[in-house]
Parts: sequence; structure tokens; C-alpha cells
Amino acid sequence: MSPNLFFLLASLLFSIGLVGLVSRRNLFVLYMSIELMLSSINLLLATFSKVLGDASGSVIALLMIGVIAAEAALFLAMIVHIYRSSRSVDSDNFTALAQGKE
Amino acid sequence: MIEQLILTLPMAIIVLGAFVLLLISHSKRFNLDRLNLIAVFFLILSSCVQFIIFKSNDIEFLFSDVFGETFILDTFSRIFDLMFTIGAILTLLINNDYFKSRRYFNGEYFALILFSVFGMMMLSHAHELVTAFIALEIASLSVYALVGYHKNNRVSSEAMLKYMVLGSMTGAFFMLGTALIYGAVGSTNLSDIALYTANHNIDEMSLLMVGASFISITIMFKIGAVPFHSWVIDVYHGAPYPITMFMASTFKIAIFAIALRLYIVNFGEVNVFWSELLQAITILTLIGGSWMAISQTLVKRMLAGSSIVHSGYLLIGISSLGLGSEMAGPAVMFYLIAYFISAVGSFGILSFIASQSKTQMRFEDFKGFANRRPYMALMMSIFMLSLAGFPSTIGFLGKFYIFTSAIESGQILLAGLGILTAFISVYYYFKLIAMMYFYESDEQKKKLPIDISTILIFAMGLVVVWGGMGTTLIPFIPGADGFIDIAQETINSLK
Repeated sequence: MSPNLFFLLASLLFSIGLVGLVSRRNLFVLYMSIELMLSSINLLLATFSKVLGDASGSVIALLMIGVIAAEAALFLAMIVHIYRSSRSVDSDNFTALAQGKE
Repeated sequence: MIEQLILTLPMAIIVLGAFVLLLISHSKRFNLDRLNLIAVFFLILSSCVQFIIFKSNDIEFLFSDVFGETFILDTFSRIFDLMFTIGAILTLLINNDYFKSRRYFNGEYFALILFSVFGMMMLSHAHELVTAFIALEIASLSVYALVGYHKNNRVSSEAMLKYMVLGSMTGAFFMLGTALIYGAVGSTNLSDIALYTANHNIDEMSLLMVGASFISITIMFKIGAVPFHSWVIDVYHGAPYPITMFMASTFKIAIFAIALRLYIVNFGEVNVFWSELLQAITILTLIGGSWMAISQTLVKRMLAGSSIVHSGYLLIGISSLGLGSEMAGPAVMFYLIAYFISAVGSFGILSFIASQSKTQMRFEDFKGFANRRPYMALMMSIFMLSLAGFPSTIGFLGKFYIFTSAIESGQILLAGLGILTAFISVYYYFKLIAMMYFYESDEQKKKLPIDISTILIFAMGLVVVWGGMGTTLIPFIPGADGFIDIAQETINSLK
């Protein structure tokens, strides 16, 4: 298969993630959008690794999975904490700072 | 082998300290004071080791037979390591009262600070893009958790939410840039990339340029340059005072460490490509930051806005660096040191004062402050003068070198705008000084408590003044020329 299809898929996934991050309000969807962006980068790295015939791209993709997992842990903990304190996972409800409250 | 292990020690001690703190944080035997002392002990131990190995000047890679060329040990990274550890020590010691006045601080807090310092040290040592990304994530994830540390406060959680969503997004951009550069060069090592940029024409490197631009988005976001600034004021406001101090001084310096390394070593040949973009961002940052700093009523938000302006001054220096100014590298480095000292002082004194109040400090709260606490008011004025760039403080010399380098590289507009925003900054810094000195106060004059926080604040005040006009009269305390020598040496070690 030509690598171009993979590049296309990776850029498509990254764009979906970015658009989702900008347009959606639910914290879980925001989190999944960021994961989608990072996963598309993994696909890109693996493809480059195959194209260049160099293993280090795949190794970087593996390392990335570890970083993504660490981020997921903190993100989910934050969502649970925010839901407990305000009974909502809608980011539109968090406007205290923008309105200058203390 | 043993020699390499000794060179690793500063970082290893920090991680070890973080794990020790995690282990003992739930023991009943250790109260906050003791945990704080243990954290400071590990940091001081690390900085002592750094002093001892400081003079081994030859550039070396850490465990090069195992890690390849991923970790570099040069004077540049050593200076930054020292600044990170000193910043963390000052954050922990000056805020000792603040920790005790709030109930939500516990042992993990100190462990998180140490992890974040470890991430920053890794960042300054990183000689490879993936290492830099992982280091950046270690530092950022700890800081995200620290920002939301006031668990029961909605504002703090909200600040964490904002910072984390936006920070993770820009982290993805960093990795995207790395992947694209890997696709173009076939390696993520900085020396390979520098070789690649030196041997190719700028028209052949479009993939590399796109990747590098993505990386610069992340860097611009983390330093709070203006199109990517929307989080700065809110996050600085929502975070507890010690964290704000840590982020504004230490974390920002860490981002500049990797930015300078990438910009000088990695993309040194192709800097011209970004110069116009960088100038536009600089102009926006200077004007937007001043605008935001003027319109605030909380002192913390004003300082957050002003920290955006200081990023703008540093960007002037980086932009002149790209246009080939000889002085720009040391100027940026000197400004980083100057900003670091002044920011640590001003945020430190603010959180020292705030530890006695339950609400956020407004400008009005400082009315008659000079009557109540004359010495603290004096110190606050010194830090404000230094941030505003008054002569005889270190902030003035920093701005002087930055503007000189801008004129040397022919960017008259940027230099002029920088001087203009420096004038504007006098308004919001002097508003605080005027509040302190021009109003009477009915309250009793409080006695100056002599403890570690006040002593350190006074020491920082002395360094600010001595760094502005001092010479090498006092041994071990660098005056103005000492700091310039340090800056020069640091930048020279990069080439």
C-alpha cells in the first residue's frame, strides 16, 4: 500500500481531533479529541518509520503511548474531581475565572 | 562509568527526594515543616553537587553508549539546573507560612514540586526532541496537578481544567512537529537536525520547517506569547500563590532553556525564515500583555499580565538573535536571570503577604501598607522597580541589553515599542507603589518577623540591587558584571 493513504488518514484524524477540541463542550469529548490527536501522531510516526526503514520511529510511538497514558490518568482524575465538585462535565459551566470571581 | 554517575547525581537526587517524600507523606511523624525541610534538603544537596561538578567544562553526553546522544551536559544546562533548584528552594522556603496558613497542603505537594524540577532539569539537558517532549510532559503534568491543588476551591479546579486542556493540545502539536521532523531528517537528534539544516537549501526543507513551526507553537503557548496567551492570567489567578510563583519564575525559564537550545543549535541556519513571524508575535505580545496588565484589579492578575510583557521582551532578544546580532544571546540569558530574580522576589513577597489574608490581594488592600510594614513595602518597591526596569536594578540592565541587541540587528521598531511598553509598565507597577506609600493607615504598625522567609526576601532584594550596579567586590555574590560573564559563558557553551 502506498504510504500516502496513511499520511492522509493521520492528517484526517488529527484534524478531527482539533475540530472536536475547538467545537465540543463536554470534557470527555475534549479528552477523547486530544487522545485522537496524539494517536494520529503515533500513526504518522509508524508510517515514517516504515517509509524510512528505520526502527526508531516505531520506538518513539511506543514511548508516546506511555506519555499518553500518564496524561490520561491525570485527565480522568481531573474530570472525576470536577464532576464531584460541580455536578457537571460541561465546560461552559466553568466561567468563574472569566468573570473575575475569586 | 563512576564519573558519569556523578554527573547524573543532581537529577538523581531530585527524583530520589521526590520518592522519599511520596513514601513518608502519610506518616504521622512528619508535619508540613519537616516535609518542607526534607524537600529543601534534597534540593540543596542537588545544588551542592551541581556546584562541585560545575567546572568540568567539556561537553559530554550522558551514558552515550546506552542513551546515544540524548542527554547533553554543558555549561548552558548546568546554569539552568542551578536556576531551577534555586527557584524551587526559594519557592518552598519563602512560602513556609503560606503552607501552614492553608489546610489543603500535604506531603504530595512537595513531591510534585520535586518531580516538576526533575522534568525541567531533563528539559535543559535534552539533546533530542522526544526526550524534550517527555521532559516537558513530566514538568507540565506536575504543574497541572499543582495548579488544581486547592481541591475545594472552584476557581483552582477551573484553572487546572483550562491549563490542562490547552496544554495537552499544544503538547500534541510539539509531538506532531517532532514526527514531521523525524520524517524529513530520519532522526530526532539535535546534532543530526543541525547537520541537515546546514547541508540543505531552504526550499528543500518544507517538511522540516512545518514541523519546527509546530514546535514553536508549543513554546509560544508555554511562555504565554499573545496569540496563545488566553490561559495565562486565569491560570495564574486560579493557582495557589506558591504555584503561581513557581510557574512564573521557574517554569517559564525552563521553556526558554529548550527554546534557546532549539533556536540557536538546531535551527541556527534557518532562523531568518521565522524572523517576520517572530516580530509580529513580539509586537502582539508587548501590546496585548500591557493591555491586560493595565486593566486588572487583583495584584496577582496584574503580575500575570506583566509576565506576558516580559515574555515579549525576551522574544525581542530571540528575534534579534535570529537576525544575527552578536549581543542577543547573552542579552536574552541576562534578561532571563534578571526576570527570574525579580519574579521570584515579587511573587514571593506577594504570597508572603497573602498568607495572612483569606482573600485575593487587590490593589486597595495595599493602601497604607508602608505604614503598617515599612520594610516589606520597601522590598516590594525594589522588585517593582526592577520589573519596570529602573536604573540601578538588575531589570534595567536586562532591558538595556535587550534593546541594544534589537538596535544592533536593525529592529528599530521593536526597540521603540519595547521602550514604549516599558513606559506603560511604569503605570501598573507604580500604581502598587503609590497605593503603599500615598495613603495613611489606621492600623497598628506590625513588627517585622525575622524568619527564613523575610531573610530570603531581603536577600533577593539585595541581589536585585547588587545585580544592577554591583561589582565583584563581594566574593561569591555576582554583581552586574558577574551576571554578564555568566550569561556570556552560557551562550558560548551552546555553539
